[in-house]
Amino acid sequence: MAKRTTVLKVSGLKRAFGSHTIFDKFSLEVRAGEAIALTGRNGAGKSTLLRCLVGADRPDDGTIEVLGTAMSEASPEIRRNVATVIDDLDFFPDLSVVEHLDLLARAHGHDDPDAMVDEVLDEVQLVPQSGQLPGTLSSGQRRRLALATAFVRPRKLLIMDEPEQRLDTEGVAWLSQRLQAERQSGLAIVFASHEPSLVESVATRVVRLGEPS
Amino acid sequence: MSTYEGSEDDAFEPYPAHHDAGFEGDEEPTRLVVPPAAELKDLIRHWRKGRATRNLWEAFSDAYIAVIAALMIGGALVNVVIRAQRVVSECTSVSCLSARTVLPWAALVLSVALALAVSRLFGPVLASAAEGFWLLDTPVNRPRLLGPRLMAALVIAVVVGALVGAAIAALTGGSGLVIVVWSIATALAATSAVSCAAAQQGAERHRLTQAATYLFGVLGVVALVVVIGIASDWFSLPITAGADAEIGFGVIAVSTVLLVVSLVLAVRRLGSIRRTRLTSGGALVRGISGAFFALDFGLARDIVVERRAVAVGSVKPRRGKGLGRQALVWREWQRLLRFPQPLFMLAVTLVVPYACDALGMSTLSPVVAALALFGATIPLLGGLRVLTRTGGLQRCLPFTLSQLKISAITVPAALVAVWAVLTVPAYLGFGDGAAEHTVDEALLMAIATAAAGLLGAIRWVQAKGPDFSAPMISTPSGAFPPGLMTNVFRGFDLCLIGTAPMLFGFSPLWSLAICAIAALILLNSMDAEAIRARQVEQQRELERAKRQREAAASAAKQKKR
Repeated sequence: MAKRTTVLKVSGLKRAFGSHTIFDKFSLEVRAGEAIALTGRNGAGKSTLLRCLVGADRPDDGTIEVLGTAMSEASPEIRRNVATVIDDLDFFPDLSVVEHLDLLARAHGHDDPDAMVDEVLDEVQLVPQSGQLPGTLSSGQRRRLALATAFVRPRKLLIMDEPEQRLDTEGVAWLSQRLQAERQSGLAIVFASHEPSLVESVATRVVRLGEPS
Repeated sequence: MSTYEGSEDDAFEPYPAHHDAGFEGDEEPTRLVVPPAAELKDLIRHWRKGRATRNLWEAFSDAYIAVIAALMIGGALVNVVIRAQRVVSECTSVSCLSARTVLPWAALVLSVALALAVSRLFGPVLASAAEGFWLLDTPVNRPRLLGPRLMAALVIAVVVGALVGAAIAALTGGSGLVIVVWSIATALAATSAVSCAAAQQGAERHRLTQAATYLFGVLGVVALVVVIGIASDWFSLPITAGADAEIGFGVIAVSTVLLVVSLVLAVRRLGSIRRTRLTSGGALVRGISGAFFALDFGLARDIVVERRAVAVGSVKPRRGKGLGRQALVWREWQRLLRFPQPLFMLAVTLVVPYACDALGMSTLSPVVAALALFGATIPLLGGLRVLTRTGGLQRCLPFTLSQLKISAITVPAALVAVWAVLTVPAYLGFGDGAAEHTVDEALLMAIATAAAGLLGAIRWVQAKGPDFSAPMISTPSGAFPPGLMTNVFRGFDLCLIGTAPMLFGFSPLWSLAICAIAALILLNSMDAEAIRARQVEQQRELERAKRQREAAASAAKQKKR
């Protein structure tokens, strides 16, 4: 069997706030078709690690490479390959739900944006809200829209921070199936979660943060 | 038991009647007595007063620099008005004088439009979330509770209206009587507009207020066009100073009648305003005031924009066009067509350079026009604001920050270019006493003015809020986060620096050179945060290399031994 490509390589990562070290000498290698679940108690550093991985926060030491390219949030190549669902996603106040997804699909040069957007919108069950402006969505609907932004565009690595947040039971089940399918199609996934069923069904490896290794 | 803990000599009785209302045993429950609104407010005031750590005099003493600065700026403004009056008094032709007479009318009409728009946005009657929860949920007499709120809104309208009316009448060289009359007229007109909006609020209606806002906005623009038309001798409007004052008295009479009628209606309807309507205005004020305390004007605008979008709720989705950056540009255009009010604002500012020229203030024209364009362009740059305020959306799009910025400003820049072309005749000089320029020079002046206004708006829109986590700067007024004070001048500074060469009579090419440098800085991929991060990264690299060299040297030494 051919060796799968290394999509994400993290070496000796360190992040500290003042004298408080969140994590140190953290290393991780994620290959295509692998899903890594980050677990641990609140404050263990899961979100901080994910923020470093997507370039929203800068580690104090260590390196992060995506497909052999050093991580830089400003790099269009990184942006093309890495889809993220973390809490800092912003929306245009005057663009509707479907228009946000259409814009992303088109910006990434998708050859059939309409079909892709319709499919994802249906999957995340936001068809009735397609014309709504983001400010009027409930927190659960906003979460679904954030997830949809990751699925409507091409991606080689998917990074998500507690994707199950604010989803109902059906939503978590759908997400679990979707992520399994994504992983099987060769996508590399790194996600933090407190939902045991999601971790169990999606992750190929579990990394527990905040515990001595 | 009450949690109220007053001092022993305090005669205040917070719960006069229902304090002993218990339901124990077979006793007939005491009838609950609703405390008067004034008493509840006294109670809240008393609590607040008890928590104050400084009195008013101490607060003023601590903020003495701010007080002195306010006095100096006030003095400078008065000086500007006096000097402007001297300049304007040099314009003596009939057309110029008539045109100046119409300016206070325009100011009055635009003040009414502004009063209506602000009233509709905030209420005008509002209550804080705490009042909504703790007071409005009780059977308290709401009209009594809300009456002072309505009065406060009216007082603000009176003060602002009077100041605007007096300033414009003074700036246009009016006599003492004319200044007083138009000051009162503008104050009363703005106040009656707020009162009418309050009457509409009480009836749970807003369409009339909305229609009146647009009507007065259009009338204001028409009045400005009339000013230009008269000054340019396109038509005449023979009005003497006496007739001008008479018109002012007429406006005062009509406004007073309107104010009395609408105020009666508004007061009668105070009790029927829904709690959610009252508290949403309060929440907006709280959000905006929080942003203003941090001098984060971008955030204040974001709150207003978000609220408007929520009020709209949903839209008819439109299909996008193009791929890559084209899709972004196309969406900007669609967003603008969906909410076209900013286009109207942009169109209004077209009259500014013409009005300056017509009124004999052509020297000031580039500065005033750039500032007006700056204000009108900010709403056009909503896309740039969203893309640059956080990194979330940027990460979703496969472009550099510079490419994103350029895509977001393509449509506004094209509109500003059209604005520049349409204002060229203003710089050619057509009013009395206006400075005349060649076509080439006028074209360059129009472009430089437009560039300064656009770049000022881009700078304003990209502003980040002050970073309270960074080391503070020590000042006589206490510790300030870096960038807090500079945020006040953000955008305005570029308008002034960009147009300064033209103001001092230098070639507009100097202005264009300044604007080109500013554009290079504003539209690149690096913001201040990224530059700092890159410096830290480079420092870290240097330290790493140094450690490696030291380790290699020590290994070599050990080998030798």
